[in-house]
Amino acid sequence: MKKRNVKNLVSLNLILLVPFLIYGLYKNGYLIYMKGLISGYMLFKPLYLTLISFVIKGVVDLFIYKKVKIDYNLVYLTLVSLIMPYNINLLIYGITLFITYILTLFLSKHFKFNRVCFMYLILILVSFLFNDLSFLNPMEAKYTFSFSAIDILMGRSVGGISSTSIILSLLVFSYYTFNFYYKKDIPLFINLTYLLLTFIYFLFTKDNNFMINSEVIFGSVFVATLPMFSPGKRIFQILYGILIGLLTFALLFITGKIISIYLAIFITSLLENVKIRQKRPKFDKITPLSK
Amino acid sequence: MKTLIKLEENPEVLIVSNVTSFLNPTFVYVPTLNYEIKSDTKFFKDTYLKDNIISVSGYLEGIEEKIYDNKLTKVYKIHNDYKEHSLKKLKKVKIKDILELQKLLEENYLTYLSNKLKGHCKELVVTCFDEEIYEMNEFMCLYNNYKDIIKMLDLLRSLLNLDVAYMAIKNTNAKSIKKVRSILGTYPNLKLVLLPDKYLMSSKENICDYLNLKEEDTFVFQTAEIYMMATLKEGKFLDHKYITVSGDALKKSLIIDTKLGVSLKEIVEEFLKIKACEYTIYYNGYLKGEEVLGDDLIVTKDTISIVFKRKEDAEEECINCGACNKICPQNINVLKCFKEDLKSKRCLNCGLCNYVCPANIKLKERIKDDQ
Repeated sequence: MKKRNVKNLVSLNLILLVPFLIYGLYKNGYLIYMKGLISGYMLFKPLYLTLISFVIKGVVDLFIYKKVKIDYNLVYLTLVSLIMPYNINLLIYGITLFITYILTLFLSKHFKFNRVCFMYLILILVSFLFNDLSFLNPMEAKYTFSFSAIDILMGRSVGGISSTSIILSLLVFSYYTFNFYYKKDIPLFINLTYLLLTFIYFLFTKDNNFMINSEVIFGSVFVATLPMFSPGKRIFQILYGILIGLLTFALLFITGKIISIYLAIFITSLLENVKIRQKRPKFDKITPLSK
Repeated sequence: MKTLIKLEENPEVLIVSNVTSFLNPTFVYVPTLNYEIKSDTKFFKDTYLKDNIISVSGYLEGIEEKIYDNKLTKVYKIHNDYKEHSLKKLKKVKIKDILELQKLLEENYLTYLSNKLKGHCKELVVTCFDEEIYEMNEFMCLYNNYKDIIKMLDLLRSLLNLDVAYMAIKNTNAKSIKKVRSILGTYPNLKLVLLPDKYLMSSKENICDYLNLKEEDTFVFQTAEIYMMATLKEGKFLDHKYITVSGDALKKSLIIDTKLGVSLKEIVEEFLKIKACEYTIYYNGYLKGEEVLGDDLIVTKDTISIVFKRKEDAEEECINCGACNKICPQNINVLKCFKEDLKSKRCLNCGLCNYVCPANIKLKERIKDDQ
């Protein structure tokens, strides 16, 4: 087993996000451009979002630490850029992300919450208020598609700008299961719970629309497992996963299938602030430092 | 038992697999006594000053402050006269006289041995296993003294009326395995066992688990201890020992056969070159050992290894990855202990939490209960 540091973990996380960005450029750039629905400038919109995230991180780091640091904030901002709706305005995205990033930097010192989900939800809200929120890209808005299961697995479904590929998410998850630092129980239990509930729902309603949800898989693999905002002990990770799965299913009917997972993760991560008072111990041999 | 892991060593650290002798040091150091001794007092080889053997004969040159057993201690500086004058010439001792020797030497392992002689030992295991990364003492001890060690092990076995005694060797030590196998045929009651190269494998619990032996009936010795017994049986004192001086801050890492009481500074000047500008010295292992301030360190009977590690990145904020919880062989909630400033008596001091922590937090030092 090799010794790792935070930089290694962050770099690995970023490298594993690159294929998603490339797929985003293909689906929400190249394909639409070839149909003549967008200009050449908009061909690289997913990349612009990621670059804006990097610039914000760099500027804030330079201002606070006087140097650019490679830390988990980079992953948070990259993740936000990948799960954005297609029609987000770049200016609104840049300004809102900058403000929410600074806000979360400050708030995270006092509360525990999933910062990626917080920034995402604020951006969605702002986009809803000022930018006519829609997850459809111009092609999806113009034509009606009938996707097969394979199409959805490959990532043709409606969702975040670069987060729709289920195959890629599953590949990354299978790679991550061999990584010692990855909390693999969380995505496993989120998806198991979610699939079980949607299957039961399907049995009653014959509606299978919710069963394959690319955002749930992407969110569970990348966002729910972010170490800072998820429990450290295995049993709590399992509970955390089950709770997110339950909440995601419940929120499907309120927020729709794309946003529900992020809202569920955000709500569950808030529970970390509630301290569970243990009567005393299992840790019978642990003594306070002051003694 | 938790799943054991193999630790990855830094490929830069290549330990030269032969022993470098350092048996004629210019100075040796022993802790001072409560009363004053005149300067130029003659010290004889193989005499004991409190619990510490004087490994050379020579004259007192002065008193200095050095790090002895990782504590700053006042020590006598003895100038070697290279005459090896010994005061006590012991006759050959039989194994049954070992209890008398015990009184004479007050060595812990002999007390242990005597208890064993009286007790109810049903299984005997000798391990040749350097579990710390950057250590090769046990390997080298067996490789160079395999005949004495195997002979002594068989003697112990017959003394305890056991049918079989186990010799457990790390399965990557091909050289030692070859040597042991070459003579094991003449000892039908000794059984060679190959252990997987994993950290903490050589602990009594894990060995018994691996060999399906009952922990309470089993006695586990290390090869160095058996070699010490073999030396005592021959009526000699062991005034020298193998230590590994290694690490990525050094140009080359060595196994050194050195006299006890030698200064690390002298060893470094004589044999080693430090290539890193900033480094940390770990006493007795990178994982289990402790950081030492300065290289004014004295080699004692408890010294196993000295690791010169390139200065690591500074401690960062905990990222809550839970790797420390996952790796802890004692199932301690390390994360909770760290966050709530708690200490655990169950800590084995294995250092795995420090090793896996991506934020470089010294968890072991924070959660270990020294009391």
